[in-house]
Amino acid sequence: MNQLRTWFLAPARLLTFGFFLAPLAIVVLYSFLTRGTYGGQGAPFTLENYTRLADPLYLEILVKSFWIAILSTAICLVMGFPLALFIARSGPQWRGTWINLVMLPFWTNFLVRTYAWMFLLRDTGLINTAFQGLGLISQPLPLLYNDGAVILGLVYGYLPFMVLPIFSTLERQDPFLLEAAADLGATPWQTLWRVTVPMAKPGILAGSVLVFIPCLGAYLTPDLMGGGKSIMIGNVVQQQFTSSRDWPFGAALSLVLTALVMVLLWFIMRRGGKELI
Amino acid sequence: MRRRTFFLSLSGLAGCTQNRAPRLNVYNWSDYIGTETLANFEKETGIRVHYGVFENNEEMLAKVFGGNSGWDIAFPSNYFIGPMRESRLLARIDRGQLKNLGNLDPMLAAPEWDPRLEHSVPYMWGATGIVFNKSAAGGLKSWADLWDEKHKGRMTMLDDPADAIGAALKKLGHSINSPDAAHLAAAQAELLRQKPLVRAYLNAEARNQLIAGDLQAAQLWGTTSQQAIDAAPHLGFAYPVEGYARYADNAVILRESRRLDLAHRFIDYLLRPDVAADIVKDSRTASANAAARALLPVQVRENPVLYPPPEVLMRAEWFAPLPPAAQRLRDRYWTEIKSA
Amino acid sequence: MKNRWLAAYAAFAYLFLHVPLLVLTVFSFNASRFTHWEGFSLKWYAVLLEDHRLIEAALNSILIAVAATALATVIGTIAAYGIWKRSAPVLEGSLYTGLVTPEIVTGVSLLALFQGLFHYFNFRLGLHTVILAHVTFSIAYVVIVIQARLKTMDKSLEEAAMDLGATEFGAFRKVTLPVLMPGVIAAALLAFTISFDDYVITSLVSGVDTETLPMVIYTMARKGVSPAVNAMSALIVIGVGALIVAAEKLQQQHT
Repeated sequence: MNQLRTWFLAPARLLTFGFFLAPLAIVVLYSFLTRGTYGGQGAPFTLENYTRLADPLYLEILVKSFWIAILSTAICLVMGFPLALFIARSGPQWRGTWINLVMLPFWTNFLVRTYAWMFLLRDTGLINTAFQGLGLISQPLPLLYNDGAVILGLVYGYLPFMVLPIFSTLERQDPFLLEAAADLGATPWQTLWRVTVPMAKPGILAGSVLVFIPCLGAYLTPDLMGGGKSIMIGNVVQQQFTSSRDWPFGAALSLVLTALVMVLLWFIMRRGGKELI
Repeated sequence: MRRRTFFLSLSGLAGCTQNRAPRLNVYNWSDYIGTETLANFEKETGIRVHYGVFENNEEMLAKVFGGNSGWDIAFPSNYFIGPMRESRLLARIDRGQLKNLGNLDPMLAAPEWDPRLEHSVPYMWGATGIVFNKSAAGGLKSWADLWDEKHKGRMTMLDDPADAIGAALKKLGHSINSPDAAHLAAAQAELLRQKPLVRAYLNAEARNQLIAGDLQAAQLWGTTSQQAIDAAPHLGFAYPVEGYARYADNAVILRESRRLDLAHRFIDYLLRPDVAADIVKDSRTASANAAARALLPVQVRENPVLYPPPEVLMRAEWFAPLPPAAQRLRDRYWTEIKSA
Repeated sequence: MKNRWLAAYAAFAYLFLHVPLLVLTVFSFNASRFTHWEGFSLKWYAVLLEDHRLIEAALNSILIAVAATALATVIGTIAAYGIWKRSAPVLEGSLYTGLVTPEIVTGVSLLALFQGLFHYFNFRLGLHTVILAHVTFSIAYVVIVIQARLKTMDKSLEEAAMDLGATEFGAFRKVTLPVLMPGVIAAALLAFTISFDDYVITSLVSGVDTETLPMVIYTMARKGVSPAVNAMSALIVIGVGALIVAAEKLQQQHT
């Protein structure tokens, strides 16, 4: 009875265990080793990489990263839900086009997109030049290199990850349900809150997770849009594996981060119902 | 031995499907070669070159660390030569095969990181200084000028712990490579004090913003600054009076290479004055090759950004690898500066 | 009435999504290398056509993305189906951990694994290691998208088909798979986008001969985006856009 299932799971198991879990085990091993004089890692075994994490500096950065990731996810949700609703309610012949238009900007490279934004937001960029030309402002507005710019970059970067799952739950919504609600005297707002949103809940949860996770680990956006002036936890991890060449500490840091997010996910799934899995 | 046989048969296999000419894999920094350099080498020698680029030393080191990356030649900076030698990644240079070695600049013929050039051959070098908008900012001379309130929000520092903390160390009169905890702590305090004035911590991206006029001043590498000055004559450049950091990138042959003869021929080719001069013209970077400098047009040869005069060069200090404890301290300070 | 507000909002949202794209397309026709407008020119497209490195990298990227998407979509779809039949907590947990792990850690750990394997088996970094990495990290995304679709499926449908004499595989192919198809397409789209855009992991596990488009763009962009990169991006967007329109036309003709 379950033979097919075993065969179906086999390739995913093989790849995930062989090329994700096995390498991850190496990282776990690294996190207990000592950085060599010139980078690299070796004996003796130590817990020091974990005790170094108790530093309030890293906790502060972590809290800030959570805050930025939560804010970005919330904005993505507020912006993405109505867009997904619009697409789901448009005629079936148009849906594909609208969805593709959401995805289209993401066929260009991430860096190219980010630089396009930087070009818009700079002091001598398009927005400031236009505003100054119109006489609205005399000094350029500081649009780039602050937390607002980082959040803008993150929202822009991950909005489709919110729209796609919400759309896929809304798309299957029975239009008769809405009619029935209207027949029963519900206002459009009531219908939205009592019928549409609850039905989209799995999509909202999936979308939020898909946006939150990469936002929390982001490092290029804070570098480019934030000008490296307010770093996130992803930058600290990145720094250990590159310029510091302290792989053991980087390994410990990223494992703790991963574990933290996993606990959070597990909590959300237990509270948020079984819809997500 | 068995590995070698396998390797030969593998390259033999590759040869069947493609060109049979021997092939050399060269891993260099981006924009660090002349437009015609490789084509000319292939024409002259019949050796094919596969050329790849990296953006920083760490990326290159991570790749070649396993000893089976496939690259034959790489170009680490001087402060990576020691670590790579200790990690047994470098092959010995056979000086007998490098006829053009005598063309090297005397100041680089016996460098402190590899005095007898046993594992590396200097290729290009550069230094970090200050580039500024002459009309808006006036002339800047010292690192201390980057702490001046009048550049607030119009100034950037390099996004690199060694360079940024190095500048603060020099401002305080210490060595750029000082491992002293008190020195590093004082440098951190300086940078924290400076942070409200800093627009952003940027590397090469600063170039376009200097040209467009977003920035008045920036800590930047000489090479990148010269590219900005070429495009925008209102920019000026200075090597700070307190002293500044200097680095050299060096050709090395990786131990894993099975094409030592070809690799030597390629390095010797790069050492030829005409070849090195062409590379300087296209990359706008100073060559370690003294004979090549003589072949350059006078505005390049005497350019004070690329080739600072001896009295300016005297203030320069080579980057060196820090002891682990100091490195860790510096990196933590840097994290603290950036998150403040 | 309410739909009009929604449409107005959608117009704004699409503007937000496409403004950067428009800007870079416009500036790919700029005669100047820098950011002020100096007049219309096609010279960056000419530069692009002569840049063998960029073209070779684009071909590599397409090859990798197509191969990785095809494999990951098939493997992920059947895995999601298997999990739907009866949960597989270890696999699911690993997939989610994969999503949560910072990219650099995934990349570094894979590189360490490959370098370790090289000591015992003589194979090297190359196209195969990149594709392997891409398939592995794409599976999780595919599984999540397909699972969302499966949640609305009625398990009794398949049972009914099997009562009528269909084999287990027949029931999957004839009953479940057609319902899953929109999800499969969405998953493939997502996997392709992620693979095509990946820089961090790719740059770590790629070999001597496998430079991808994001890697080339990364080296170019860090020095200030060249209009040639803008031209390349504009071409990709237009090319992919045309491909999608064509695919939709084809699908509409079929149905």
